[in-house]
This record gives sequence, structure tokens and C-alpha cells, in this order.
Amino acid sequence: MDSTASETAPILPPDLTDDSITERITGIVVKRKMGYGWIGGFAIAFALLMMFNYAIAVLFTYGVGIWGIQVPVAWGFAIVNFVWWVGIGHAGTFISAVLYLCHQEWRTSINRFTESMTLFAVACAGLFPILHLGRPWLFFYLMPYPNTMELWPQFRSPLVWDVFAVTTYAIVSVIFYFVGLLPDLATLRDRSPHRWQRIIYGILALGWRGAGRQWSRYKMAYLIMAGLATPLVVSVHSIVSLDFAVGIVPGWHTTIMPFYFVAAALESGFAMGLILIIPVRHFYGLKDIITGRHLANMAKLLLATSLVVGHGYFTDTFMSWYSADPYDKFITADKFTGSYAFGGWMLMILDVGVVQLIWIRAVRQSPIALFFIAILANVGLWLDHFILVVQSLHSDYLPSEWRMFYGTKWDWMTLFGSFGLFLTLFFVFIRIFPMVAMSEMRGLVHKKPGETKEAGA
Amino acid sequence: MLRLSPLSSMKSLPLPPQVQIDAGGPRFWKSLEEWSQSPDFLPYLHREFPEYASAWDNGMSRRRFLKLMAASFALAGLTSCSRQPQEKIVPYVRRPEEIIPGKPLYYATTFSHRGYGKGVLVRTEMGRPTKIEGNPDHPASLGATDVFMQASILGLYDPDRSQTIRQGNDISTRDAFTQFVGARIEAHEQDQGAGLFLLTGKTTSPTLADQLQRLHERFPKLSWCSYEPAAPVRAQSILGHDAEPVYDLSKADIIVSLDADFLLDGPANLVLTKAFSKKRRDPAADFNRLYVIESAPSITGAKADVRWRRKPSEVITFTQQLAAAIAQGVAGDSPEIRQLANDLQQHRGRGVIIAGDYQPEVVHALAFQLNQTLGNIGSTVTYQEAQQTPIPTTSLPDFVTALKRRAASTLLIAGANPIYDLSPAWGFSNAMARVTHSIHLGLYDDETGSRCHWHVPGSHYLEAWGDILAIDGTPSLLQPVIEPLYPDAVSLVEVISLLVDLPPKKGYEIVREFWQRSLAADVPAAWELSLNKGVVAGLSPQALSPTPVVSVRDAPPEDLPNSSDLEILFRPDTAVDDGRFANNAWLQELPRPLTKLTWDNVAMISLATAKSMGVTTGDVVRLEAAGQSVDAPVWIQPGHADGCVSVTLGYGRSQLGEVANGVGFNAGLLRSSVAAWSQALTRAQATGARLELASTQHHFSMEGRDLIQIETLADYKTDPSQAQENQPNPPPEENLYPPFAYKDYAWAMSIDLNTCVGCNACVVACQSENNIPVVGKDQVFKGREMHWIRIDRYFEGEPEDPAMHFQPVTCMQCEDAPCEVVCPVGATVHTSEGLNDMVYNRCVGTRYCSNNCPYKVRRFNFLEYSDATHPTLALQKNPDVTVRSRGVMEKCTYCVQRIESARIDAQKEMRPIRDGEIVTACQAACPADAIVFGNINDPASRVSRLKALPRNYGLLADLNTHPRTTYLAKVTNPPTAI
Repeated sequence: MDSTASETAPILPPDLTDDSITERITGIVVKRKMGYGWIGGFAIAFALLMMFNYAIAVLFTYGVGIWGIQVPVAWGFAIVNFVWWVGIGHAGTFISAVLYLCHQEWRTSINRFTESMTLFAVACAGLFPILHLGRPWLFFYLMPYPNTMELWPQFRSPLVWDVFAVTTYAIVSVIFYFVGLLPDLATLRDRSPHRWQRIIYGILALGWRGAGRQWSRYKMAYLIMAGLATPLVVSVHSIVSLDFAVGIVPGWHTTIMPFYFVAAALESGFAMGLILIIPVRHFYGLKDIITGRHLANMAKLLLATSLVVGHGYFTDTFMSWYSADPYDKFITADKFTGSYAFGGWMLMILDVGVVQLIWIRAVRQSPIALFFIAILANVGLWLDHFILVVQSLHSDYLPSEWRMFYGTKWDWMTLFGSFGLFLTLFFVFIRIFPMVAMSEMRGLVHKKPGETKEAGA
Repeated sequence: MLRLSPLSSMKSLPLPPQVQIDAGGPRFWKSLEEWSQSPDFLPYLHREFPEYASAWDNGMSRRRFLKLMAASFALAGLTSCSRQPQEKIVPYVRRPEEIIPGKPLYYATTFSHRGYGKGVLVRTEMGRPTKIEGNPDHPASLGATDVFMQASILGLYDPDRSQTIRQGNDISTRDAFTQFVGARIEAHEQDQGAGLFLLTGKTTSPTLADQLQRLHERFPKLSWCSYEPAAPVRAQSILGHDAEPVYDLSKADIIVSLDADFLLDGPANLVLTKAFSKKRRDPAADFNRLYVIESAPSITGAKADVRWRRKPSEVITFTQQLAAAIAQGVAGDSPEIRQLANDLQQHRGRGVIIAGDYQPEVVHALAFQLNQTLGNIGSTVTYQEAQQTPIPTTSLPDFVTALKRRAASTLLIAGANPIYDLSPAWGFSNAMARVTHSIHLGLYDDETGSRCHWHVPGSHYLEAWGDILAIDGTPSLLQPVIEPLYPDAVSLVEVISLLVDLPPKKGYEIVREFWQRSLAADVPAAWELSLNKGVVAGLSPQALSPTPVVSVRDAPPEDLPNSSDLEILFRPDTAVDDGRFANNAWLQELPRPLTKLTWDNVAMISLATAKSMGVTTGDVVRLEAAGQSVDAPVWIQPGHADGCVSVTLGYGRSQLGEVANGVGFNAGLLRSSVAAWSQALTRAQATGARLELASTQHHFSMEGRDLIQIETLADYKTDPSQAQENQPNPPPEENLYPPFAYKDYAWAMSIDLNTCVGCNACVVACQSENNIPVVGKDQVFKGREMHWIRIDRYFEGEPEDPAMHFQPVTCMQCEDAPCEVVCPVGATVHTSEGLNDMVYNRCVGTRYCSNNCPYKVRRFNFLEYSDATHPTLALQKNPDVTVRSRGVMEKCTYCVQRIESARIDAQKEMRPIRDGEIVTACQAACPADAIVFGNINDPASRVSRLKALPRNYGLLADLNTHPRTTYLAKVTNPPTAI
């Protein structure tokens, strides 16, 4: 079906109606029994989550020394994972806010997915800076809270900017998500067969009645939230990148960082979106709502961002040569020829090279191919952050203190454990919230084909 | 994580006497019921309130539960009132003389090592010794310390020290031991001491010598053997005397070391380093030249201007050729010999040839001959009579034979560990098994101790009275700075006193009475002055002018191994020596100067030898020599001579303590005798196994970066400021933030790379001063060692035979510090005097500061490294320095506690802090005076003047960090025509 779907076809098939959309989406939440597939998937995710808990318990008991970090590589997996997860969050906001503002209506089928992904990714990301601390119980020292000693965070530090950036992003994302959910929660309330469901959804729906005034206020609020969320797409990862760019570590200290970080973030987000959407639309039979065209558009965005990332690599390498800074030149050469050369080449192959297959129409239209390309791209982007953090640190200024970094089993358990948290949240999400924004879909169905804007990519 | 034992290793404590009424003794009873063991009474014996106890056996009802809870809460409230002791206590109204709480006191005493003393000043804080400094009045210290002196403070508090007298497997008492010794005296008065055997380490204690003489009078047939596993070789049979060469390097322009590591090893190392570095301080003035011929790289070799690597047998032939060249004017074809001979001839009377302590006698004899021919004797070398042994000694082989032959005997072993030192071929274990009464006196119940019938814990030198001679013969006293931590501990003089004095005397009485007889006129005053100064005043040794009794040419020829044979050479380890410091965790974790290796000893070989053997660093090889074999990990060392393997003693301990046991291999097993320092290696074969070695530095090259500025003397003379010109230009400076104003003081440091010899004394001094934890091998392996000062070692040139350089790196206390800006919580902040202070309480451990530190001098507590489980170790801690917990970053503070202490003194006297008043721990320890600390706001201060020198440069100054610690470039002095 998908392989034959044309990229010029309308976004939605013509046989969809208000009722059928509502029925199918709410049905997944309120009527569908828990299948073995869901239970199996959830069990795996939950097991990973428990592993995560265990790794964290051990971490809090003994300290960050259970990881492979040392001097000079004092940052390791925790920071890599943080940057990677924050990045994944970005695509959700980009799809819901930026594409909304740009009237890219095809986004309607997938924005709930990607927004959920954003929230869960930010939840994962938000844990890591705290786990990363030597004394995590004192994490609140990074917050500007009034205290008798009049001690404040040190505002010159990019880590403090980080705290603001990530918290703002998390708060805005939650509100934006919740506002978007309101009409759908009301639908769920009305369609739930059980009283307890009606009560819970009723409370969450905040008294939504679908009145004209409510719709008008809602539209305005949503637009404003979208406007607020849009700069965050750029700001969060720019500021995360300053954690590196402000440092004097060779390989970190470059001005290209913010630009390149945002591109990498979007790429990992689009890839993660594809990784999640492709199986879900298959198992829940949503191929007519999330069509091949959606996937192709996502793939095109992935391709575009990967090209920007590739450009970033080129510029970074060129500038380190052009700068004639001996330390920077050394670290760049080391990236491709030194102890981490395998990672240095691999990341480029995965997050830029492999993604170029999307130029081929057949690949673009094959969900399976896209699924694997997306996974590889995300592995590549994780490697990218790993090389950035670890390889830059492992040989900086004084050769006497150069040392290789090796992750321990606790490092890996924390990384894979965070997948558990992410997936558990995602499995729960598809059981309790409508995974497609019904209210917006219904709006889209009413538009005649001619009125629907062609989605470009 | 720390490989230290918990206190549970303490032997089981003696039971209180009332419990020890067992079947054997009289039966005591309190009542007739008890006596009759009636069934009614038995429960009373075992339970306090037997009639009530059964009432509680019923199940718990709800009511009872509530009653109990109510009672618990009510009673819990009572305990919140603090309980005062009922007895009347009296507060401190008049403080004890000299003790001001919070102010340390310093006492002079003497650290003894291999029988010679080095004077120390011990800092005590409210009665607990916490730090060792050198004693400037002592001729073998001159105010400096070496690593062993510094680390000896940890030895005092070692939780593995033996704590009780042991007889067989049981804990015994001092009285029982005294009685036992009394019985042995009676027995040996019968045989005039023929069955009395005494085995000790080398000692020069005058009091002990006196005691031994008295012992000998009482037991004329006793056998005394004194040996050291790392004793220096002397040209005794040629000179006819046991004459000690004494070198005066302040007069030497050309120094030739024949495999002599005189800067690090031996009883005169501090004196020689001081004199050597003095002639390297100012390249514009006089400057010495050091030639080193050696097999395994040493710090002396690293400081050499010309270094030739030769395997042990080639060192001998080299010396012979040199002697021939000098004596007959035969230069030979070797350009090296020609060069060296020429240089020595040009500096007659101003050169010195130093034969290594571990070179065979022939090298010593040739060195004597060379020095004599060149007119150096009397100027740069003098000889002095070594201390005569007070009573006849027995050589070790004879001693062992006698021990084997004699059935009923008493053996006292003190300060020696023959079971560990001697290879099984000696049969010492069998000999000991035949001894009827063996007594071991030592700090640890070690390999030898555990085979003795009695073990008596020895007192640490900081706990005991005694005396010792310095290498130049100056006597000095040992005074205890703390009561023995374990009341059973006694010193050797106290044990000997049991044999010679009736009634036995305390250490104080023994030492005091001896000096009462020996001191000049006013005894109480002289005694006090001697204790106060740490040196017995007015006693100095006499110089000798030895003439050889045998011509050097007639000296017995050394049987040299074939030139193609693999040779093995033994050296005491630079960190654990002959094994006596093996349980000292500071020393185990001290990166060895050239390998930067911790927690292991290795079989060191050259790159070419490794290639021919087909092994690489970490491969375990089986070494076979003298009929024994050991498995040793290989370490490829640049600069090592080809065709030989060098190993260090002191490892492979089985019964010392939790730190030492199981670390490394016992190289001593391969020695054919305790004086064998090199011999043929029968076989070296890879076993296929590998061992992970924990080194603190993995990268040896400077990668073309100008980290250590090196220039030759000739270049320096043409352009003194070359070091500064070589520095890359820093980019123009633009700063968002206003510069700091330093109104009063601006602390800074200058480190002279020219005088620094890389001896590591500063590293241990810093560890001792700043409560720096030990992390253990696995953590060092992961790269988490905690030393606040490290000595970077770089190689330059060909990997086979490179030049070697040392660079001590501490926190640079940058004026524009990259660490300060990135800390999100303000835990590392700039002070008004330019220090980068760490606020440990505020640190949350983001580690960003460490990443952003270009010098990587910050150390992080990845785990809980501070040992809180051993109460004795807590006593060593400096009370002025915070003990850091896990998750906290730490680093060099320029010893801020010492700055503050000087500030308090200055403020009390309403004056500014004087230049030189603050001495950092590293600076105080440095024997080369390479580190100078002071105020750069004062242009007249020593540090300001050093920083004004043309050799001054900042490390990575091109980063615009403005480091407060700067370096003075290294100048080498190679001869022009080489």
C-alpha cells in the first residue's frame, strides 16, 4: 500500500469522516483491549526501566566513579545522553509549532506523536544532568532560589544557562502539549464507556464543551503557544551547545556549535519520530491517517537536516585547519586518525552518509528502509556527541594528561535504561491519550481537496 | 577501594580475667546454688530476669502493642536530656605549657633508613604527629626531605602494624615476655651466649653499639649478624678500610656517575641534590656538567647532560677503559671515552667520579683511582672511616650455617626480614625451624615474624627514644613525639636492655644515660640543646686519606657474563625501597619518577630487548636466575640499556599488610646473595599472561608543544631570553570582565626546571599536608589518582635513547582562570590575592572546571576516597585542611592554610607577611630548592626576582590564562664536541 502511495496524493484519503476519525482514535484508548503486542512491548520497556532504576540506585550509593569518567575525560555518557535526548525532543516542537505557524497541515497527523516524543525525551534528558553530578542531592544549588546566605548560581557558567533553557523548554512543551490535548480529552470524556474514565478525562478536559467562544479562545491560545515554542526550538540546543563552545577545550571552542547543534538535534528528532511512527501506524492500522506521504515528508526533513549537519562537519574541519591553532588542528586530525578514528568516521557515515539514501524515491517510500535509516542516523548522532565530548577531552593541551576513556557496564546500563524510561512512557501514552490530534484532523477532513495546501518538504 | 585493612585484622583481644576461670584453675562461686549448679539456678546464670522473660513469649496483642509504643515514646523523650557525668570534672584553666590549641608544635627527631639518620622536624597538632619536615640543622637533611621521610608519618598510623605481643598463636603480655627473656638469659649464661643469635639490620646507633658491647661482655660467644638487603658496596678490600666516600659537589664542575643514582638513593641523597642543584641555579654563573653511565634510567640519568646507556657488565668495562685512558693517556677508539677523559683532564681537581652504590667493588676501586689520578681526592671527594662495628660480626652465610648447626638456641631478629629478603636457596626457613626460641621485633608481624615463636611489636621511630649517625658521622637523637599507639610496642634498645640491664630500663633512661657519659661538660644543657636541634652538638667525624693496600690492577677480576648474555640488575625500589615501605599506601601510589607506574614493580627492558624477546609492556615473563624463577610483567622503558632486565626489590609481599600483600613480584628471589646487584639471567620467557599496569602518564612526547623550554648553556649565553621568545604569541586580550585588583598580596610560585630533579618528595609532602587520599590500583588505572602536584615526565628524541625531562605541575592559580567562569555554583572563586579557591561545601561536582582546565590539575573524588574506616589514619589528618567527600572537586591551594597561619602571625605583630615566611609543603620538601613561593606585589621578593629572569616562562601562556605559577627554562650543558 505504502510503496505505491504517491507523494503528490492528498494528505488524507477521501473516505475519512469526522466520525470515523474520532471513532478510530478514541477506540484505541477506550475500547481496544490490551493486546499481547502491547503487553510484550511494555514488559521489555519496563524491564529496561527497572534496569535504569537499578543503575541509578548503584550510582547514588557509590558515586559517579562507577562510570568510566576520569581526568581528563571528566564528562562521559551522562552528558552525551543528555545532549542526545534533548536533541530528540526538538523535532516534536519543530513539527507542532514551526510547521503549524507555516501552515504545513500534513503535520496534523503526526504532531501529537512527536510532541509526546518531545516530552518523554526531555524527561529522559532532564535526569542526566542530575545523575551526572558528583553530589546529586545538591542539584538545587544550580537554581536561583532565595537563601539566607544570598548565594546565587554563577551566571557566567553555561551550565546555569542550561538549567534555564531546559526548564523553560520542559515547561513550555508541557503546556503546549496540554493545551493541544484539551478538545481531544473532552472527546475521550464523552466517549468513555466507564464512569471512572469519564471522571478522569473530565477533570483533565477542564470543562471543555466545544462552544464557539471556547474554540475561538483555544485557537488563539494555541497560536500563541506555538509562537512561544518556536524560538525554543532554536534556543535550547544553542544553549546546550554553549556548554561546549564556551569551554577552552580544543574541539569545543568554536562558534559553529549552536548552529550545528540545532541541526543535529532536529535530525535526531526526525529520525526518532520515524522510529516511533512507523511501527505504531503499522500495528494500530493507522496507515490511512499517517500516510506514506507523511513518512516521505519526515524523511525529506531528515535528509535536509543531515545535509546541514554534514555542512557543519565540513566547516568545523576546515576552520580548525584554517585557524592554524595547533591544539585544534591536532584534535581534528586525531578525530580521523587517532584512537577514536573508528567513531570519527562512523558517525559521519551513519548520520550523513546513510541518510543520503533518502534521495532515492524507492527508499523514501519504504517504511522499513526509513525505519532502519532513522535508527542508524540516531546511532550516528549519539556517536557524534560521544566523539565531541570524549575525543575532544581525551587529548587536550598537556600530553602528560592524555588518557583513553572506556565506558563501564554502568554507563551502558544507564544509556539503555533511559530507553526504558522513554519507551515505558510511550507505551503508557498510546493507551491513555489519543495518539493523533482528532480535533485538528476533523478540521482537515472538512477542507476540500483543493483547499488543502500541498505539503512541500 | 583503599587497599587498607579494617581494624578487624587486629588479633582477638585478651579476655577479661574474670572470664578466664576455666576447668584448670580454682573454682570460684558466689552462692551455694551456683556451686551446686542446681537446675533452679542455671537460668539465673544465663538470663538476668528469668521470671519475667517468659512473660514476653506470648504473642503480641493489639493492646500490648499500644502500651509498648506509648512507653517507648515516653521513654524516648527522656533520653533527649543530655546526660552529664556524675563525677566532678575540671576544665582547662591554665593551659599546659607550649600547647596552644590549633597551633602546631615542631619537634626535632631523626628518621633512620638503612642504618643512617636524616634529621626531621615533626609537626604535632595537639599531641598527634601529622607532618614531617626536614631539619635544617641536620647535615643529612639540610631542611629537605625525601619521599621515605615524608611518607614515614603514614607508617606510624598504619592500621596493619602489629599491636600486641604474640607467643605462638596466642596473645601474650609484656611481663610474660620479660620473664621469658629472663629464662633465656639464665640459659645462655651457661653457654656464654654460644646459642644466642642476633640478626639485625644495619645500625649506627651509638647507644645500641654501647649496649652490644655490654651484651658481648656478658655473652662473649654470641653471634651477631647485621645485614641490609640494599647495602651499598664499598672498595673495602682494596682500600683496606670500610671507608665511606663523601662527595662535595659544590666544588665539582664535572660529575661522572658510574650508575650512581646519587640524587635519589642513599643516605646522602639530599645533601648531594642540594649541592648539585646549587650549581645549576644560575646558568650565567658556574654550571656543572653531569655524565651518567647507567643501565636502567634513573632520575640522575634524566638530569644528565650526557647519558650513555650500558648494561651492567659494560659499565665495568667502560670504567676500566676510562681508567686506562686517564692513567696512560690511551684514549682508545671510543669517542665517548675520549670525550669524557678529555673533559676530566681539563677539570683536574674540579671533577668527581661517583661509583654507584650497587656497582661491584672493582668499579669503586677504579673510581678511587680515577679520583686520585685527577687530583679530586681532598677537593671533591674525601673519605671517612665508616663506623666501626662495636663487636665482631658474623657474615650472613656463616650466621645461617651456625644457626643450622646449633640445636638449642635463641634467635632475636630485629629490623630484618630474612625470610622475605633471602631466596629459599639459603635455607633460612629450615634454619629457623631448628631454633628453639625465636623472637621477632618489628613494626609488622611479617613473613619472618610469623615464623618466630615470639613476636614483639616494634615502636615506630616517632614513638621511641634512640640515636643514629648521619652519613657524615654526625650523631643525632630520636625523641618520641607520641606515646606508642600500641602499649606493647618497644624499641630495639629496650629489648637489648632486657638482656643487659637489671632491672631493664625504659628507652629514655637508656639513651639518656649513654649520652650522659658521652656528652661534653654541661650535660643537661647539652642534652636539651641536642634534642632541640636534633643534632648532638660538637661531634663531627674525621676525614681519612686512604691509600690502597692492594693495587687496583691486582684486584680480583670480576667474572663478567658473556656480552651476548642477558643480564639482570636489581635495585631497591624508588617507592618501597627494599620492601620496608611496601605497606605504605602513599608510596605504593606514588608514580615512580621515570615510569610513572604505581602499585607494581616490573621487569624493565629496552625497546630492542623487548623486540628480540617478542614481548610488550604488560606481558608477563618468567625470569630465571640463580636457580629460582619469578613471573614479572614487562615494562618497555625508553633509555634502558639493551641486553639487560632491571627489576626492583620490595614487592611480592605475602605477610605484611593489606596494602602490600600480593602486589608485584619478589625480585629478591633471583639474587644469588644479598650483595648481588647484577648477574646473568638464565632465561626470560614470555608466559602468555598479561598484567594491567597502572601508570599515571600514558603519553610520553610533548607533541612539539613548548611545554618544557630547553636550551643549551651555549645558546643561553648568546641569548638568555630564548625561552620567552620561543613561546607562541598569545592572541590579543579582550575581556568582558574587569581585571582583578590585588592590593596587598599577590601569591605566586616559580618552579626551576633546571634544578628540579624529579625526586617526588613534593608529591608525598603535598599528600601528607593536604589530606590527599589514596585511591588504589584500579582507580589509578582508570585515571583517577588524586595528587595535587604531579611531575610530568617527557621524553625527547629517539625512543631507544631519549633525553628525559621533568616538570612539576600544580594548579597554576591563573589570573584569568578558565575553571572559574564555568562553575555553575561558584564553588571555585578568585580571591583578592589571586588564588583560585575551592569551596568544597559548595561544589556539586559538575566537573566542568576540570574539563576547562588546560593544565588538568584538578582532581575529583569520583568515589568516597577518604578513608573513614580506620581510626588511626584519621590521626594523621591535617586539622587545617578539609577532608573531602565523594563528588567534590579538589586541587592545589598553594597551601592556603599556611598562608592564613602566616597572616595571623603577621597581623598579631601588626606587620606585613615577610618574604619567605610562607613555605608551601612542596617547597619545604624540595631538596633542590626548585620551588619558590611568595608575593609578586613585592618586587624585592625572591619569587619576583626569579620571575624577572630571562628564563622565566608560563606554561601554555598562549592561552592567556596568566598563570601565577611560572617555570624557569631548563638549561643543559653538553660538551661542545659531542
